[in-house]
Amino acid sequence: MRDDPSVVALVERAAGSDQSAWNDIVDRYAPLVWSICTRFQLNSQDTEDVGQTVWLLLVEQLGKLREPAALPGWLAKTTAHECLRVVTAARKSERLGRLDDAMQFADDTVLEEEVLTAELNAGLRAAFAGLPLRCQQLLALLLTDPVPSYAEISSALDIPMGSIGPQRGRCLNRLRRSPALIALVEGDIGVAVAGGEPGA
Amino acid sequence: MREASQVRDGWDDEQLMAALREAMRARQAVPDWFVETGRSAYAWHNIDAELAQLTYDSSRDTERTAVTRSENASIRALTFASPHLRLELEVSGHSLLGQVIPPQAGTLETHTRAGVTTSQVDEIGCFAVDPIPDSPFRLRCRMADGTDVVTGWITL
Repeated sequence: MRDDPSVVALVERAAGSDQSAWNDIVDRYAPLVWSICTRFQLNSQDTEDVGQTVWLLLVEQLGKLREPAALPGWLAKTTAHECLRVVTAARKSERLGRLDDAMQFADDTVLEEEVLTAELNAGLRAAFAGLPLRCQQLLALLLTDPVPSYAEISSALDIPMGSIGPQRGRCLNRLRRSPALIALVEGDIGVAVAGGEPGA
Repeated sequence: MREASQVRDGWDDEQLMAALREAMRARQAVPDWFVETGRSAYAWHNIDAELAQLTYDSSRDTERTAVTRSENASIRALTFASPHLRLELEVSGHSLLGQVIPPQAGTLETHTRAGVTTSQVDEIGCFAVDPIPDSPFRLRCRMADGTDVVTGWITL
Protein backbone atom coordinates (compact mmCIF):
# COMPACT_ATOMS: atom_id res chain seq x y z
CA MET A 1 0.00 0.00 0.00
CA ARG A 2 2.90 2.32 0.67
CA ASP A 3 4.25 1.82 -2.85
CA ASP A 4 1.09 1.04 -4.72
CA PRO A 5 -2.42 1.89 -3.67
CA SER A 6 -3.90 -0.57 -6.12
CA VAL A 7 -5.52 -3.62 -4.63
CA VAL A 8 -5.09 -5.35 -7.97
CA ALA A 9 -1.32 -5.02 -7.73
CA LEU A 10 -1.34 -6.26 -4.14
CA VAL A 11 -3.30 -9.36 -5.11
CA GLU A 12 -0.95 -10.06 -8.00
CA ARG A 13 2.10 -9.77 -5.74
CA ALA A 14 0.53 -11.94 -3.05
CA ALA A 15 -0.35 -14.55 -5.67
CA GLY A 16 3.39 -14.83 -6.23
CA SER A 17 5.12 -15.26 -2.90
CA ASP A 18 5.16 -11.83 -1.33
CA GLN A 19 4.24 -12.01 2.34
CA SER A 20 4.41 -8.23 2.74
CA ALA A 21 1.82 -7.76 -0.02
CA TRP A 22 -0.38 -10.31 1.75
CA ASN A 23 0.10 -8.47 5.06
CA ASP A 24 -0.98 -5.24 3.38
CA ILE A 25 -4.12 -6.93 2.08
CA VAL A 26 -4.91 -8.25 5.57
CA ASP A 27 -4.19 -4.87 7.20
CA ARG A 28 -6.40 -3.11 4.68
CA TYR A 29 -9.35 -5.48 4.94
CA ALA A 30 -9.20 -6.79 8.52
CA PRO A 31 -11.50 -3.91 9.60
CA LEU A 32 -14.08 -5.01 7.02
CA VAL A 33 -14.03 -8.64 8.14
CA TRP A 34 -14.00 -7.57 11.78
CA SER A 35 -16.88 -5.15 11.35
CA ILE A 36 -19.10 -7.81 9.77
CA CYS A 37 -18.26 -10.28 12.58
CA THR A 38 -19.22 -7.55 15.04
CA ARG A 39 -22.62 -7.18 13.40
CA PHE A 40 -23.24 -10.87 13.95
CA GLN A 41 -22.21 -10.43 17.60
CA LEU A 42 -19.86 -13.41 17.49
CA ASN A 43 -17.77 -14.21 20.52
CA SER A 44 -14.01 -13.93 20.12
CA GLN A 45 -13.45 -17.64 19.42
CA ASP A 46 -16.10 -17.68 16.71
CA THR A 47 -14.68 -14.45 15.33
CA GLU A 48 -11.25 -16.06 15.14
CA ASP A 49 -12.72 -19.14 13.44
CA VAL A 50 -14.43 -16.97 10.87
CA GLY A 51 -11.34 -14.84 10.31
CA GLN A 52 -9.15 -17.91 9.92
CA THR A 53 -11.50 -19.50 7.40
CA VAL A 54 -12.01 -16.32 5.39
CA TRP A 55 -8.29 -15.62 5.01
CA LEU A 56 -7.51 -19.26 4.18
CA LEU A 57 -10.17 -19.24 1.50
CA LEU A 58 -8.61 -16.08 0.12
CA VAL A 59 -5.14 -17.65 0.17
CA GLU A 60 -6.50 -20.51 -1.92
CA GLN A 61 -8.21 -18.06 -4.30
CA LEU A 62 -5.21 -15.76 -4.80
CA GLY A 63 -4.11 -17.15 -8.12
CA LYS A 64 -7.65 -17.68 -9.34
CA LEU A 65 -9.31 -14.32 -8.68
CA ARG A 66 -10.38 -13.18 -12.13
CA GLU A 67 -11.20 -9.70 -10.94
CA PRO A 68 -8.97 -8.78 -8.04
CA ALA A 69 -10.73 -5.41 -7.88
CA ALA A 70 -13.87 -7.25 -6.73
CA LEU A 71 -11.96 -8.50 -3.69
CA PRO A 72 -13.71 -6.36 -1.03
CA GLY A 73 -17.12 -7.58 -2.17
CA TRP A 74 -15.90 -11.17 -2.17
CA LEU A 75 -14.49 -10.76 1.34
CA ALA A 76 -17.71 -9.24 2.66
CA LYS A 77 -19.84 -11.99 1.19
CA THR A 78 -17.53 -14.78 2.32
CA THR A 79 -17.32 -13.34 5.84
CA ALA A 80 -21.11 -13.10 6.11
CA HIS A 81 -21.41 -16.65 4.77
CA GLU A 82 -18.99 -17.95 7.41
CA CYS A 83 -20.68 -15.91 10.18
CA LEU A 84 -24.01 -17.46 9.23
CA ARG A 85 -22.42 -20.91 9.32
CA VAL A 86 -21.11 -20.27 12.84
CA VAL A 87 -24.42 -18.84 14.05
CA THR A 88 -26.30 -21.78 12.54
CA ALA A 89 -23.98 -24.27 14.21
CA ALA A 90 -24.36 -22.44 17.53
CA ARG A 91 -28.12 -22.57 17.19
CA LYS A 92 -28.04 -26.31 16.59
CA SER A 93 -26.19 -26.82 19.82
CA GLU A 94 -28.80 -24.60 21.49
CA ARG A 95 -26.31 -22.09 22.74
CA LEU A 96 -28.00 -19.36 20.77
CA GLY A 97 -31.31 -18.68 19.11
CA ARG A 98 -30.66 -15.74 16.91
CA LEU A 99 -30.42 -17.10 13.39
CA ASP A 100 -33.33 -14.97 12.22
CA ASP A 101 -31.63 -11.85 13.54
CA ALA A 102 -28.41 -12.91 11.89
CA MET A 103 -29.91 -13.37 8.44
CA GLN A 104 -30.47 -9.62 8.07
CA PHE A 105 -26.74 -8.92 8.45
CA ALA A 106 -25.97 -11.12 5.44
CA ASP A 107 -28.25 -9.02 3.25
CA ASP A 108 -26.53 -7.72 0.10
CA THR A 109 -27.49 -4.11 0.86
CA VAL A 110 -25.98 -4.30 4.33
CA LEU A 111 -22.81 -5.88 2.96
CA GLU A 112 -22.47 -3.31 0.19
CA GLU A 113 -22.66 -0.57 2.78
CA GLU A 114 -19.99 -2.35 4.84
CA VAL A 115 -17.76 -2.55 1.77
CA LEU A 116 -18.26 1.12 0.85
CA THR A 117 -17.47 2.25 4.37
CA ALA A 118 -14.46 -0.06 4.65
CA GLU A 119 -13.11 1.09 1.28
CA LEU A 120 -13.51 4.74 2.13
CA ASN A 121 -11.81 4.19 5.50
CA ALA A 122 -8.98 2.17 3.93
CA GLY A 123 -8.53 4.87 1.28
CA LEU A 124 -8.39 7.57 3.94
CA ARG A 125 -5.84 5.63 5.98
CA ALA A 126 -3.71 4.98 2.89
CA ALA A 127 -3.94 8.66 1.94
CA PHE A 128 -2.94 9.65 5.46
CA ALA A 129 0.02 7.23 5.38
CA GLY A 130 1.15 8.87 2.13
CA LEU A 131 1.23 12.40 3.59
CA PRO A 132 4.53 14.06 4.51
CA LEU A 133 5.55 13.29 8.08
CA ARG A 134 4.85 16.85 9.27
CA CYS A 135 1.27 16.60 8.03
CA GLN A 136 0.81 13.21 9.65
CA GLN A 137 2.09 14.58 12.97
CA LEU A 138 -0.13 17.64 12.86
CA LEU A 139 -3.29 15.76 11.84
CA ALA A 140 -2.62 12.98 14.36
CA LEU A 141 -2.50 15.60 17.13
CA LEU A 142 -5.66 17.26 15.85
CA LEU A 143 -7.37 13.85 15.80
CA THR A 144 -6.50 13.18 19.43
CA ASP A 145 -9.39 13.14 21.84
CA PRO A 146 -9.55 15.59 23.51
CA VAL A 147 -7.89 17.86 20.95
CA PRO A 148 -4.81 19.58 22.41
CA SER A 149 -4.75 23.38 22.52
CA TYR A 150 -2.95 25.28 19.74
CA ALA A 151 -0.33 26.24 22.34
CA GLU A 152 0.34 22.57 23.07
CA ILE A 153 0.48 21.71 19.36
CA SER A 154 2.76 24.65 18.71
CA SER A 155 5.14 23.45 21.38
CA ALA A 156 4.94 19.76 20.41
CA LEU A 157 5.66 20.36 16.71
CA ASP A 158 7.77 23.50 17.12
CA ILE A 159 5.66 25.62 14.77
CA PRO A 160 4.10 29.06 15.37
CA MET A 161 0.50 28.97 16.59
CA GLY A 162 -0.55 31.18 13.69
CA SER A 163 0.50 28.63 11.10
CA ILE A 164 -1.38 25.66 12.58
CA GLY A 165 -4.67 26.54 10.88
CA PRO A 166 -3.17 27.18 7.42
CA GLN A 167 -0.98 24.05 7.64
CA ARG A 168 -3.99 21.97 8.62
CA GLY A 169 -5.81 23.25 5.53
CA ARG A 170 -2.86 22.48 3.25
CA CYS A 171 -2.47 18.99 4.72
CA LEU A 172 -6.16 18.23 4.21
CA ASN A 173 -5.93 19.44 0.61
CA ARG A 174 -3.00 17.10 0.04
CA LEU A 175 -5.13 14.34 1.53
CA ARG A 176 -7.93 15.11 -0.94
CA ARG A 177 -5.50 14.86 -3.87
CA SER A 178 -3.98 11.58 -2.68
CA PRO A 179 -3.73 8.84 -5.34
CA ALA A 180 -5.23 6.40 -2.81
CA LEU A 181 -8.43 8.46 -2.72
CA ILE A 182 -8.44 9.24 -6.41
CA ALA A 183 -8.28 5.51 -7.19
CA LEU A 184 -11.30 5.07 -4.97
CA VAL A 185 -13.24 7.87 -6.66
CA GLU A 186 -12.46 6.55 -10.12
CA GLY A 187 -14.06 3.25 -9.27
CA ASP A 188 -10.87 1.24 -9.12
CA ILE A 189 -12.43 -0.75 -6.29
CA GLY A 190 -15.32 -3.13 -6.71
CA VAL A 191 -18.13 -2.86 -4.19
CA ALA A 192 -20.69 -5.22 -5.66
CA VAL A 193 -21.39 -8.19 -3.46
CA ALA A 194 -24.33 -9.57 -5.41
CA GLY A 195 -23.70 -12.64 -7.53
CA GLY A 196 -20.78 -15.04 -7.34
CA GLU A 197 -20.61 -17.69 -4.68
CA PRO A 198 -18.01 -17.39 -1.99
CA GLY A 199 -15.46 -20.11 -2.43
CA ALA A 200 -16.58 -22.42 0.32
CA MET B 1 -24.25 6.66 2.66
CA ARG B 2 -20.82 8.20 2.33
CA GLU B 3 -19.34 8.22 -1.15
CA ALA B 4 -15.68 8.46 -1.90
CA SER B 5 -16.22 11.29 -4.40
CA GLN B 6 -17.58 13.45 -1.59
CA VAL B 7 -14.18 13.32 0.07
CA ARG B 8 -12.64 15.33 -2.73
CA ASP B 9 -15.51 17.41 -3.96
CA GLY B 10 -18.15 17.78 -1.30
CA TRP B 11 -16.56 17.71 2.11
CA ASP B 12 -15.23 20.67 4.00
CA ASP B 13 -12.25 20.34 6.31
CA GLU B 14 -14.37 19.48 9.35
CA GLN B 15 -16.17 16.66 7.54
CA LEU B 16 -12.88 15.34 6.23
CA MET B 17 -11.36 15.37 9.72
CA ALA B 18 -14.40 13.52 11.09
CA ALA B 19 -14.09 10.90 8.33
CA LEU B 20 -10.38 10.51 9.00
CA ARG B 21 -11.06 10.08 12.71
CA GLU B 22 -13.63 7.38 11.94
CA ALA B 23 -11.20 5.61 9.55
CA MET B 24 -8.53 5.51 12.27
CA ARG B 25 -11.03 4.34 14.87
CA ALA B 26 -12.22 1.49 12.62
CA ARG B 27 -8.65 0.24 12.24
CA GLN B 28 -7.85 0.60 15.95
CA ALA B 29 -10.98 -1.39 16.84
CA VAL B 30 -9.43 -4.49 15.26
CA PRO B 31 -7.38 -6.45 17.81
CA ASP B 32 -3.81 -7.40 16.88
CA TRP B 33 -4.57 -11.12 17.23
CA PHE B 34 -7.24 -10.85 14.55
CA VAL B 35 -4.81 -9.28 12.11
CA GLU B 36 -2.19 -11.88 13.06
CA THR B 37 -4.63 -14.71 12.27
CA GLY B 38 -5.03 -13.27 8.79
CA ARG B 39 -1.31 -12.77 8.23
CA SER B 40 -0.45 -16.31 9.31
CA ALA B 41 -2.93 -17.80 6.81
CA TYR B 42 -0.33 -17.04 4.14
CA ALA B 43 1.64 -20.04 5.40
CA TRP B 44 -0.84 -22.13 3.39
CA HIS B 45 0.00 -20.32 0.19
CA ASN B 46 1.70 -22.49 -2.42
CA ILE B 47 1.43 -25.61 -0.27
CA ASP B 48 2.07 -28.44 -2.68
CA ALA B 49 -0.56 -30.66 -1.11
CA GLU B 50 -3.59 -31.40 -3.24
CA LEU B 51 -6.80 -30.02 -1.78
CA ALA B 52 -9.30 -32.69 -0.78
CA GLN B 53 -12.77 -31.20 -0.82
CA LEU B 54 -15.76 -32.25 1.21
CA THR B 55 -17.89 -34.50 -0.99
CA TYR B 56 -20.16 -36.00 1.64
CA ASP B 57 -21.37 -34.97 5.10
CA SER B 58 -24.00 -37.11 6.81
CA SER B 59 -25.25 -34.11 8.80
CA ARG B 60 -26.24 -32.39 5.54
CA ASP B 61 -27.80 -35.53 4.12
CA THR B 62 -31.35 -35.15 5.38
CA GLU B 63 -32.79 -38.00 3.33
CA ARG B 64 -30.28 -40.52 4.60
CA THR B 65 -30.53 -39.19 8.15
CA ALA B 66 -34.28 -39.78 8.10
CA VAL B 67 -33.85 -43.37 6.96
CA THR B 68 -31.09 -44.30 9.37
CA ARG B 69 -32.08 -42.17 12.32
CA SER B 70 -33.33 -45.10 14.39
CA GLU B 71 -30.12 -47.06 14.00
CA ASN B 72 -27.20 -44.70 14.28
CA ALA B 73 -28.38 -41.13 14.47
CA SER B 74 -25.29 -40.09 16.42
CA ILE B 75 -22.72 -41.22 13.85
CA ARG B 76 -21.35 -38.41 11.72
CA ALA B 77 -19.63 -39.43 8.54
CA LEU B 78 -17.61 -37.21 6.22
CA THR B 79 -15.83 -37.84 2.93
CA PHE B 80 -13.08 -35.70 1.44
CA ALA B 81 -11.81 -36.40 -2.05
CA SER B 82 -8.89 -35.22 -4.13
CA PRO B 83 -7.99 -36.53 -7.59
CA HIS B 84 -5.63 -39.12 -6.07
CA LEU B 85 -6.98 -39.92 -2.63
CA ARG B 86 -10.21 -40.25 -0.71
CA LEU B 87 -10.56 -39.80 3.05
CA GLU B 88 -13.46 -41.45 4.84
CA LEU B 89 -14.03 -40.01 8.32
CA GLU B 90 -16.33 -41.13 11.08
CA VAL B 91 -16.93 -39.48 14.43
CA SER B 92 -16.99 -42.07 17.16
CA GLY B 93 -17.40 -40.81 20.69
CA HIS B 94 -14.49 -38.50 21.45
CA SER B 95 -12.30 -39.65 18.61
CA LEU B 96 -12.28 -39.37 14.88
CA LEU B 97 -11.60 -42.55 12.92
CA GLY B 98 -10.50 -42.41 9.33
CA GLN B 99 -9.39 -44.44 6.38
CA VAL B 100 -7.37 -43.47 3.35
CA ILE B 101 -8.48 -44.96 0.03
CA PRO B 102 -6.68 -46.54 -1.75
CA PRO B 103 -5.25 -48.05 1.46
CA GLN B 104 -1.58 -47.42 2.21
CA ALA B 105 0.68 -46.36 5.05
CA GLY B 106 1.71 -42.79 5.72
CA THR B 107 1.72 -39.87 8.11
CA LEU B 108 -1.27 -37.85 9.20
CA GLU B 109 -0.93 -34.24 10.32
CA THR B 110 -3.72 -32.54 12.24
CA HIS B 111 -3.42 -28.77 11.79
CA THR B 112 -5.22 -26.48 14.23
CA ARG B 113 -4.69 -22.84 15.07
CA ALA B 114 -2.57 -24.04 17.99
CA GLY B 115 -0.19 -26.04 15.83
CA VAL B 116 0.35 -29.43 14.26
CA THR B 117 0.14 -32.92 15.75
CA THR B 118 1.32 -35.97 13.87
CA SER B 119 0.03 -39.54 13.90
CA GLN B 120 0.51 -42.66 11.81
CA VAL B 121 -1.64 -44.10 9.06
CA ASP B 122 -1.30 -47.90 9.16
CA GLU B 123 -0.74 -50.16 6.14
CA ILE B 124 -4.46 -50.61 5.54
CA GLY B 125 -4.93 -46.83 5.54
CA CYS B 126 -6.54 -46.47 8.97
CA PHE B 127 -5.88 -43.70 11.47
CA ALA B 128 -7.39 -42.08 14.55
CA VAL B 129 -7.47 -38.48 15.74
CA ASP B 130 -8.01 -38.44 19.49
CA PRO B 131 -9.23 -36.21 20.97
CA ILE B 132 -11.16 -34.41 18.25
CA PRO B 133 -9.90 -30.81 18.11
CA ASP B 134 -12.50 -28.39 19.49
CA SER B 135 -11.53 -25.73 16.98
CA PRO B 136 -11.46 -25.94 13.17
CA PHE B 137 -8.73 -28.23 11.84
CA ARG B 138 -7.33 -29.59 8.60
CA LEU B 139 -5.98 -33.07 7.99
CA ARG B 140 -2.93 -33.49 5.81
CA CYS B 141 -1.98 -36.97 4.58
CA ARG B 142 1.55 -37.62 3.40
CA MET B 143 1.45 -41.10 1.98
CA ALA B 144 4.23 -43.62 1.38
CA ASP B 145 3.90 -43.27 -2.40
CA GLY B 146 4.44 -39.50 -2.18
CA THR B 147 0.81 -38.48 -2.45
CA ASP B 148 0.25 -35.34 -0.36
CA VAL B 149 -3.32 -34.25 0.32
CA VAL B 150 -4.86 -31.68 2.65
CA THR B 151 -8.55 -31.32 3.51
CA GLY B 152 -10.48 -28.10 3.79
CA TRP B 153 -11.22 -26.82 7.29
CA ILE B 154 -13.29 -29.21 9.39
CA THR B 155 -15.44 -28.24 12.35
CA LEU B 156 -17.02 -31.03 14.35
